Amino acid sequence: MSEHHPHEETARSPYAARIRAIEALLLEKDVLTEPEVQDRISYMEARSPANGAKLVARAWLDDDFNELLLSDGKAAASALGMDPEHPAEFVVVENTPTIHNLIVCTLCSCYPRAILGRPPDWYKSFEYRSRAVREPRAVMREFGFEPPEEVEVLVHDSTADVRYMVLPMRPSGTEELGEQELARLVTRDTLVGVSVPLAPDHPIPADA
Amino acid sequence: MTYEPGDRIRVVPAGKPGHVRTPSYLRGKSGWVEAVIGPFPNPEDLAYGLSGLPARNLYKVGFKQVDLWDDYEGQAEDILYADVYEHWLEPGEGGTA
Amino acid sequence: MGGLPGGPVDRSQHEVEDWERLADAINGALEGRGLQTTDQHRRAIESLEDYRHLSYYERWAAATERLLVEKGLLTSEEIDERAAQLERRWS
Repeated sequence: MSEHHPHEETARSPYAARIRAIEALLLEKDVLTEPEVQDRISYMEARSPANGAKLVARAWLDDDFNELLLSDGKAAASALGMDPEHPAEFVVVENTPTIHNLIVCTLCSCYPRAILGRPPDWYKSFEYRSRAVREPRAVMREFGFEPPEEVEVLVHDSTADVRYMVLPMRPSGTEELGEQELARLVTRDTLVGVSVPLAPDHPIPADA
Repeated sequence: MTYEPGDRIRVVPAGKPGHVRTPSYLRGKSGWVEAVIGPFPNPEDLAYGLSGLPARNLYKVGFKQVDLWDDYEGQAEDILYADVYEHWLEPGEGGTA
Repeated sequence: MGGLPGGPVDRSQHEVEDWERLADAINGALEGRGLQTTDQHRRAIESLEDYRHLSYYERWAAATERLLVEKGLLTSEEIDERAAQLERRWS
């Protein structure tokens, strides 16, 4: 299926061949069909942090939607045409001037994939999973963010069937911005809680 | 055992073999019930292909970080929340949340 | 794992490779068919002896393989044989 790149020769995982072998065998034995596998690939590709940014931007502009997002995340996601996972719960936690939220899954890497797609590599790392619960402020500092003294840090360890996302505070100076411009300020990292949204005049990075 | 928000609880101190969804860093720690999430089939049984029934209540439980780590570097009011199943909780000592 | 000491968080992001997308997809497709569940998959990942030495998607693929063999849907031998064939074809 994918091109074999010579420069990756020594780096290729033995699991690349194993998973392709598994695919071939499962298709041959009619355990799975090719369209099913392709559908799942498309499913994941269609999901991205842009969905989360859209939920946040809408909540910033519409108080009723804000309330819905915080009380019933799945209903809010469905209202914007997203397809949240069942039976997991999708809970959005709100940052305020005195509260900053951080999400982690110490046991594995639970993440609202059905809304946001794949988590970043760092979220799945042993270092993040061990340290985020014990020294959240030090971890956030590594990401260049330090909550002010008077702000309480709340860490949510997704140990069960709830998937969490952060609703960050709307940056000041954004009163004139429309929904799409607001969404562009909300990065993937912000939705996990290791940073806050970009300032309105900040250059937008290619991949954040 | 059913809990209400505000109840003091303690996470059962002992470990158990097999697939568990209560992190070891919480074992024996005291906190409070923040919210009732609802009933779910027990993932510790689902992990082995069992039905996971009867469903167990899942609770959002809060702990003061300073109660979890001796060397916690942060504010005294910082909190850690985890989602814990009822069979991992026992009533805790009285006190305000 | 929570609370264990650790070094700085590596913030680099690798390009997801096609085989990793496939590992994700096979997992999802098997779950869609009711042939495995998230909890079974997590338990299988936790039981891997070389958990600490495998990358994230290697753990996923290894756990899926373990479950398929456990459930008698595939055998390790046929996976080994087919994987070896593919490796030979690629080199």
